[in-house]
Amino acid sequence: MVSGIVFDMQRFSLHDGPGIRTTVFFKGCPLRCLWCHNPESINPKIELAFYKHKCIGCNSCVNICPTGALQNSERDGKSYNIEHCQFCWKCVKVCPSEALVLQGKVVSIDEVLEETSKDIPFYKQSGGGVTLSGGEPTFQFDFCFHLLKGCKEIGINTALDTSGFVSWEKLEVLLPFVDIFLYDIKHMDSGEHKRLTGVSNEIILENLFKLNDAGKDIEVRIPIIPGYNDSKENITAISRFIANLKSIKKVKLLPYHKLGLSKPWLFNNRRGILDLEPPKKEDLEEIKSIMREYIDKEKIY
Amino acid sequence: MPDLTYQEKIDLLRAKKLEHTREKQEVVGFMDHDDWGLILPPPTEREIVRTISSSGMPITDVLLKSFKVIPNHPSGGFFGPRSCGENFRKLLEVHPVYIDPISSLAGAYMVNFMSYRNPHWNPDFDYSHLHKEQELYQLVTGIGATQHFCQDMEIGLRLGWKGILDKIRYFRKINSIESFEFYDGLESVVLGIQNWVYRTAQTAKAMAQYEENLELRRNLEEIAEMNERLINEPPRTFREACQWILWYLITARMYNGSGSLGRLDVMLYPFYKRDKEMGILSDEEAIFHIACLLLRDTAYIQLGGYDRDGKDVTNPLSYLILEAAHQLKIPANIGVCVGEGIDKNLLYRGVEILIKDKTGIPKFLGADNIVNGFAKNGYPLEIARERAYAGCHWYGIPGREYTIMDCVKINFATIFDVALREMMQESGCTPSAKELWDRFTKHLRIAIDTIAKGLDFHLEYMHKVFPELVLDLCSHGPIEKGLDASHGGVEFYNMCVDGAGLATVADSFGAIEERIEKEGKLTWQELMYYLDNNWAGLDGERIRLLMKNTPRYGSGVSIADEYAIRISKVFTQMVKEKPTPNGYNMIPGLFSWANTIPMGKNLGATPNGRHAGDPISHGANPDPGFRKDGAATAMAIAIANVQPGYGNTAPMQLELDPSIDNEKEAIENIANLIKVHFDLGGTMVNINVIDKDKILEAHKDPSKYPDLIVRVTGFSAYFSSLSPEFRQLVVDRIIGNG
Repeated sequence: MVSGIVFDMQRFSLHDGPGIRTTVFFKGCPLRCLWCHNPESINPKIELAFYKHKCIGCNSCVNICPTGALQNSERDGKSYNIEHCQFCWKCVKVCPSEALVLQGKVVSIDEVLEETSKDIPFYKQSGGGVTLSGGEPTFQFDFCFHLLKGCKEIGINTALDTSGFVSWEKLEVLLPFVDIFLYDIKHMDSGEHKRLTGVSNEIILENLFKLNDAGKDIEVRIPIIPGYNDSKENITAISRFIANLKSIKKVKLLPYHKLGLSKPWLFNNRRGILDLEPPKKEDLEEIKSIMREYIDKEKIY
Repeated sequence: MPDLTYQEKIDLLRAKKLEHTREKQEVVGFMDHDDWGLILPPPTEREIVRTISSSGMPITDVLLKSFKVIPNHPSGGFFGPRSCGENFRKLLEVHPVYIDPISSLAGAYMVNFMSYRNPHWNPDFDYSHLHKEQELYQLVTGIGATQHFCQDMEIGLRLGWKGILDKIRYFRKINSIESFEFYDGLESVVLGIQNWVYRTAQTAKAMAQYEENLELRRNLEEIAEMNERLINEPPRTFREACQWILWYLITARMYNGSGSLGRLDVMLYPFYKRDKEMGILSDEEAIFHIACLLLRDTAYIQLGGYDRDGKDVTNPLSYLILEAAHQLKIPANIGVCVGEGIDKNLLYRGVEILIKDKTGIPKFLGADNIVNGFAKNGYPLEIARERAYAGCHWYGIPGREYTIMDCVKINFATIFDVALREMMQESGCTPSAKELWDRFTKHLRIAIDTIAKGLDFHLEYMHKVFPELVLDLCSHGPIEKGLDASHGGVEFYNMCVDGAGLATVADSFGAIEERIEKEGKLTWQELMYYLDNNWAGLDGERIRLLMKNTPRYGSGVSIADEYAIRISKVFTQMVKEKPTPNGYNMIPGLFSWANTIPMGKNLGATPNGRHAGDPISHGANPDPGFRKDGAATAMAIAIANVQPGYGNTAPMQLELDPSIDNEKEAIENIANLIKVHFDLGGTMVNINVIDKDKILEAHKDPSKYPDLIVRVTGFSAYFSSLSPEFRQLVVDRIIGNG
């Protein structure tokens, strides 16, 4: 039985594809976007995280830790030395307030299908289904493949939310089991793309071409990060690039938000997260008006 | 000066309403109830008192200084139909006239007659034999409850006040002398109303003479003429029908708090159709008259639904009434019927308004499950379809069914507490979840039996205490038989029995089974220690969180979910197992109304991690924070699974912050959520579409958002009028931090 590591399953998800959906968040991502709003998704392994405001200071965790990996810390509440950790997670089990939690859980395909099947009546009524997101779902390729296949076998509509940073050979295998691709485009300039996300964009753009040729429904999603990728040049370049791709049914702006900052503290693994002001409504309208010069306005959200 | 547009007039009326509300907030303080549309009497006429509302909640209220009741009992109270009628007539005769020259309808009510009642119950009718159990289980018994059933307003629209008076006098001659007192009471009420309408017509006439604005003068003259007619005659036009309904509503509201209205779209339709055909009414004008009606009372209204034969009754007025609420944007209680055979566009328009206005209006009614569920009580579908939405969470057959809906509550959490303490105190008893369950059901049975006996007692004596003199006027039977609706006057008696605190108990059972029995993380004795000490100390807090963080009702696969279903099932079976000792049918529902706070105040800590005195869980809802994602679909499934299913409701109260980036999609998704909840068995959906940040801001300083409206439970209210405790309750639900 194939299993994988997910860090969340969100029911009644209204923003990750058509209708009412359940989004399964995969752990692990090859990209390192500066603005990542799911920092807990980056590391493919299960990891320890801490909500300082939930901690009541009962010390059950520190007392039970067999190796002293977890200690009290004046500055952060707790400190955690992964080199000393046996990964027994007794600290998590004993924590009464869910201040110490694990990011990521090993789940089997059947377990995910059981959870995602609960909302089948809502999917049927609304044209919704299951969305695989992350992280980058294709980063756990076998799990991704079997979950998509499992969903299709029981008649659930599927969406794959991907950065596109995956080999075409793999993507091609998934094609028959994906109803719609939610496909991110972040920057058209390859060097800039690498600076912002850690990888260049050639594979991503090439895959989008191929997906388009394969006739798959695509929703392009553009994160709008003020000062990073919202220049007129970049928006124009993206719009020009996707203007002629017929399979793109929808282009959606994902304005930067601060929710990533309220995520739990991942001890030493936490990456720096941008702390910006979210884009204003007028700015988004401006971006949309640029896009409308190239793209059918009905498609822009 | 050019005439004002209808929208401009509505805006002015709303501004005036906000002024009235601010004044009420200043004078009576917090109002944890429906806004009702009451306007304070003039300052020199005000006398402030603490009293009990028609729903049994302690409130601050304002009386008219110039009016004093005449008692007829050594206790200082006034009881029985004649005395109630005469006293009420006197109040109507001195009640200040209220006319807003901008509104197309005259009249507003300024005091609650209920607040003059002291004591509320006639001590001659003793039920101390029930006190022990009522106290032990802290039951909301319904003894002495008023209204909470639905009249048939069409009777009044057909007869007018004079016609009703003639009917009373006709049957007085036919029926025996024992009913004379009752007829005296009814007559007094009608004469009092006629006097009020007459004085209003005269005042309008006088005001018109001094009004310089031509448009307003014309309006006042029309008001005078219309009301002069309505003293005796039944309404002819759409506007007259709205005015007649308003008189009836505010009289019923003033008498004993009644806010039932029912199918407004159906009852007004013949007037609308006639006026349209005659070319004397535009849709804009119709919307305006309805808005003027909604402005003065937050009555409970059903839109759409089925007729006797199962045909959809949705008509153009259903949409216009929605539109009026949309333009008015004040608290209102409008339910949109959703069902297989019902116009889907009404649902979509309702959701659109819900999203646009963010006022929690309208709510949504699962017509098919209400009808089919009610039929299970042994009624033909034709009768079941006649039931109309008429109160917070309830329906009634207009003019034919007596129910005291929403007035009878069993707090499952108190039953649980009694069972737990009994088990722990009994020597030789080995505590276990199974043992606790057995004792819980044993005490639940006794509580339901006590309720049943109380209902019989109420039905025996209420008419001698405070009869339904206003709702009787528009019911089928009371006048004809000479019997009050609470005493055999109407055709059907289906007494409401609601359970409350479902999640509190389901989660408590779940936590006990998980933490004590499965994991052995604490003993029963330790649990009792922590409960008795209200989880004090660091160790107490640790254990509390351990119990609280057990998977809860609503998560979908937890032990608590299984318990919630079991509790609802056993409660339903017990209520349906037998009628009251005198043979009255009882119908189970799950709803706590505003009682979550008082019911929690009297209760110690509970094993679900709840502190002593904190509110119990809301209706059939899972506790806030039941899932990390708070998924609406999870809640929709959980609540559909615990429906008692006999035609009374277990509403879903849902807070959504959908951060809408596409309105069309949002409408679709929310409409689909509602539809599927009903497909799965749900009966009613109350939704707040809210802006989380705005609510949190308003919580800090409510005066900043005087016009922010929230759906509290079955009713909607200005957020700024709620007490801090109640605001907290709404905020907790919204941020889901449990």
